[in-house]
Amino acid sequence: MTTTPGTEYPFAPVPPTEAVKHLGRIIADRPMTKMTMPYGGDVWLVHRNAAAREILSDRRFVREPFRTGERVVPFFVPFPDFLRGTLQFEDPPQHTKLRKLVQKAISPKRVREMRDSAVAFANELIDGMIDRGGVRDLVPEYSLSLPIEMLSNLLGVPSSDREKFERWSSSTLAVAGKSEAEVAADMAELAAYMTDLIAERREEPRDDLLSALAHARDRDETLTDAEILPIAFILIVGGFDNTATFLSTGVLALLSDDEQRARFTADPDGLAATTAEEVLRHGGFATGRPAGGGGGLVPFVATEDVVVDGQLIAKGDAVSIDPSAAGHDPAAVTDPARFDIARPDNPHLTLSHGLHHCLGAPLARMELQVGLAELFKRIPELRLAGEPVFSRDVLTQPMTSLPVTW
Amino acid sequence: MTKEDTTVPKVFYTQPDGTERVVEAEVGDSVMQTAVRNGVPGILGQCGGSLSCATCHVFLDERHADDFAPVGEDEDDMLDVAATDREDNSRLSCRLVLAAGQEVRVTIPETQL
Ligand code: FES
Repeated sequence: MTTTPGTEYPFAPVPPTEAVKHLGRIIADRPMTKMTMPYGGDVWLVHRNAAAREILSDRRFVREPFRTGERVVPFFVPFPDFLRGTLQFEDPPQHTKLRKLVQKAISPKRVREMRDSAVAFANELIDGMIDRGGVRDLVPEYSLSLPIEMLSNLLGVPSSDREKFERWSSSTLAVAGKSEAEVAADMAELAAYMTDLIAERREEPRDDLLSALAHARDRDETLTDAEILPIAFILIVGGFDNTATFLSTGVLALLSDDEQRARFTADPDGLAATTAEEVLRHGGFATGRPAGGGGGLVPFVATEDVVVDGQLIAKGDAVSIDPSAAGHDPAAVTDPARFDIARPDNPHLTLSHGLHHCLGAPLARMELQVGLAELFKRIPELRLAGEPVFSRDVLTQPMTSLPVTW
Repeated sequence: MTKEDTTVPKVFYTQPDGTERVVEAEVGDSVMQTAVRNGVPGILGQCGGSLSCATCHVFLDERHADDFAPVGEDEDDMLDVAATDREDNSRLSCRLVLAAGQEVRVTIPETQL
């Protein structure tokens, strides 16, 4: 008797190696699958890496109908309203104008200049954990503190206010566990806080991103508060929570694989860059947590009929990239099920690609590299001291606790 | 009468350690696209050529200096913020679009991020 391997999509969480096989079968079968989302209706989820890149570089796919509210974003949860006002929902030329202004502040060059202070701060955090000893919770004590510090520095948020940011950031992404009124109150508080800070920086500019935005001139236009606020929001949301989760996932992935950890601790600086990419591509799978299929980045809408990889995407159809599949496409990634921290070529799409590639990518990558390298340099004998905890109450389902000891 | 040149363009990529790789390109593709499509390491091209990432920075061999349109205003801005310091022959490889018969030599910088 032969069994026919499944190619259904979405699929429920299964052991990671099985999930990679399942994705491989889907990819061999078709470039994309149309599925109905719990909110916003149908969307094409694109599995193949090359097809995904093609779509991400094709200007005929736009986000305008989502931004204006004409269409509901096809997603698993109601897409947070305030996010629709951010850069990732703009199309050119407005997108180009805003993006350029922010880009300079988190450019590769600027991020390289921030690297030394990231190393210093990571070591301060590690000193604190070593002093306290025993079992430490890596998420609040390290993974979250590092990006909060970096982003606050970049934006120009005073250190004394940083705790509030953690609360606001988790509130903006809340999908459960908080009442609508609580979320609205937190959002209003964050908006008021940022508005005051922008006003202060307009008066007295400093060397930070908010000052730069408050004084940015693109030809004759100056940015209004209404334009600056969503930029600050998306940086806060993307910058704290996602980077912290990548870092925690990276540590957990290394702690789950003796061979790769030994390799990493032998040369943390040399392997930091490729390790960070491999964590972005495959870190979630490498932790051993069951993985399912059915995820996608923020969708686009086709402005005309477009054929991609033989599949017609009709005008008005929504389309989204499935980064898990794209990162495990055997046509783009050799031996996709293997966690290989020295992988030379790693074309994952976790931080997207093209016009809407992650604005904070250089910063996220640097923090991930520094965060992993410094931790394993100082505490090579780091090990797990309990089970990680994940939150289902927040859009991004972040890791909220990772007990470690040494 | 000149015959249309149908020779495929070629790009010679030199890595920071001196190793060189030659890639046959498609007419109309950029030096960035050619690198990304062929898995040439060191050119990331994260924004897919929309002039907003500076991760496709290369040093263009002097002998090709006049073969391409000069550095534009937006390219100039992005070159200033590339991870590896800019030099006189710095270009964003997504701006270097290849014509038939063209051969181009570029050196990849130490780091793009
Ligand atoms: S590919 Fe992003 S600037 Fe050239």
